[in-house]
Amino acid sequence: MIKISGVSKSFNGQLVLDDISLEVKENEILVILGESGTGKSVLLKNMIGLLKPDEGSIFIDSEDITKLSEKALLKIRKGIGYLFQEGALYDFMNVFENVAFPLKEHTSLKQQEIINKVQAVLKEIDLAGIERKYPSELSGGMKKRVALARAIILGSKILFCDEPTSGLDPIRSRDISDLIKDVSKRMGCSTVVTSHDIKNAFRIADRVALIHKGKIIAVGTPSDLKSSDDKFVREFILC
Amino acid sequence: MDKILNYIINLIADVGAAICFFFDVLGNIFCGKIRVGAVLKQVYEQGINSVVIIALTSLASGAVLALQGYVAMSRFGAKEYVAHLVALSLVRELGPVFTALIFSGKAGARIAAELGSMNVNNQMLATRTLGIDPIEFLIVPRMLACFIVVPLLAVMAEVIGIAGGYMIGILEAHVEGTFYINQTIKAVTYVDFFSGFIKVIFFGIIIGWICCYQGYNTTGGSLGVGKFTTRAVAYSYIAIILSNAVLTKVILTFWG
Ligand SMILES: Nc1ncnc2c1ncn2[C@@H]1O[C@H](COP(=O)(O)OP(=O)(O)OP(=O)(O)O)[C@@H](O)[C@H]1O
Ligand SMILES: [Mg+2]
Repeated sequence: MIKISGVSKSFNGQLVLDDISLEVKENEILVILGESGTGKSVLLKNMIGLLKPDEGSIFIDSEDITKLSEKALLKIRKGIGYLFQEGALYDFMNVFENVAFPLKEHTSLKQQEIINKVQAVLKEIDLAGIERKYPSELSGGMKKRVALARAIILGSKILFCDEPTSGLDPIRSRDISDLIKDVSKRMGCSTVVTSHDIKNAFRIADRVALIHKGKIIAVGTPSDLKSSDDKFVREFILC
Repeated sequence: MDKILNYIINLIADVGAAICFFFDVLGNIFCGKIRVGAVLKQVYEQGINSVVIIALTSLASGAVLALQGYVAMSRFGAKEYVAHLVALSLVRELGPVFTALIFSGKAGARIAAELGSMNVNNQMLATRTLGIDPIEFLIVPRMLACFIVVPLLAVMAEVIGIAGGYMIGILEAHVEGTFYINQTIKAVTYVDFFSGFIKVIFFGIIIGWICCYQGYNTTGGSLGVGKFTTRAVAYSYIAIILSNAVLTKVILTFWG
């Protein structure tokens, strides 16, 4: 479904991603773990074509997106839900309009159907009743959850979430993680989640990849990683 | 030497990118990718944004023109031509240029700052991840709105400016009201009006272009927003004043 092979990316001489290869299968949740600043967000941005890797290729449904024009990418992105680490909600739209936006743009649903769908999603993220608020009136965690609602509302087959749980309290983190798992299993998504929240990562992941200094140093099921005897892996997941 | 060369190369690259940007926008417009609702909203916001200040400015400038014109014209014993002076200066030159300058300082700065902060908050990138072209969604409505609003504001400014002159004409110069109005109507021919109007259409395009381009390319956080916004306004001013000189010459050559 998604195949990354040999991707490298550097910014002004600073090598951020160093020859990364990964595969995400259908109906699988892959969690990318790593310290802050190791390039998790950069990797996700490459995977949706917001950044172009210096080397390597990224296949989505057997199409190499690193070779596509922006116009072709726009088409592919309609089938991908993407959650920005900072949320990136439109601040000139209220919560309802933000969440309804992909539906209005890419489906021909009637207004009433859109309203029903948005309300259902908002209820799932535990934010029913805030439709009329603007993003500047929300807390950081609320923004993040609204942004997640916007990412999942189309029910895309591919879902990329950049740190969905950072900035949330432990209970919400657990609930949001479960929601992501629930949504992706229901839709049979290929889901990639970046995180440094070990507990929830292991809770939802089918497989986990650990990035360190631009390289992937371990990939496997949560139990594989727990039984790894690499020094850094142990330090990262046990501390 | 190297520095100057570098600077020139960068300048050319930048201008090239701006021209590509402009054609990208035009392409969207001619493919009919126009969000009418969004355009109307922008027209309303930009219009409301600068209508009061432009009205005040043109009322005052019309009045000042009449005051000064009265003094100057009296010296030649030609004070009944004050109406001509006011109307022609406003319609041919001052209305378009004042409107464009004030509009770029107000609505233009707002456009650049809005787009710029959307850029630094990743909303521009988010638009792309949602499979929507930010040019079509955010830029086209703003540029079209400038194209529509600036001429409207300029015509309004001209009318209000003439009204300002009329007030002075009656109160200070003691010209009779109907005489003043008749003189004005006689003074302004189609050629006069359109030689100003062509400029204003051009200014509308150029302000939209510069301010959207700067906003669209903003980087560097809140500092960047400040930098690119002031740059948008400064470049608009320069472009308006320089292109006004060229346009005036061109129009006078063809129309006299
Ligand atoms: N646009 C950019 N220009 C220059 N350097 C960048 C850019 N984007 C990211 N970087 C660099 O790439 C590195 C990785 O950044 P990235 O945002 O991917 O980290 P991350 O793993 O997502 O961290 P976090 O967990 O804190 O979100 C950082 O060192 C950063 O300085
Ligand atoms: Mg990140």
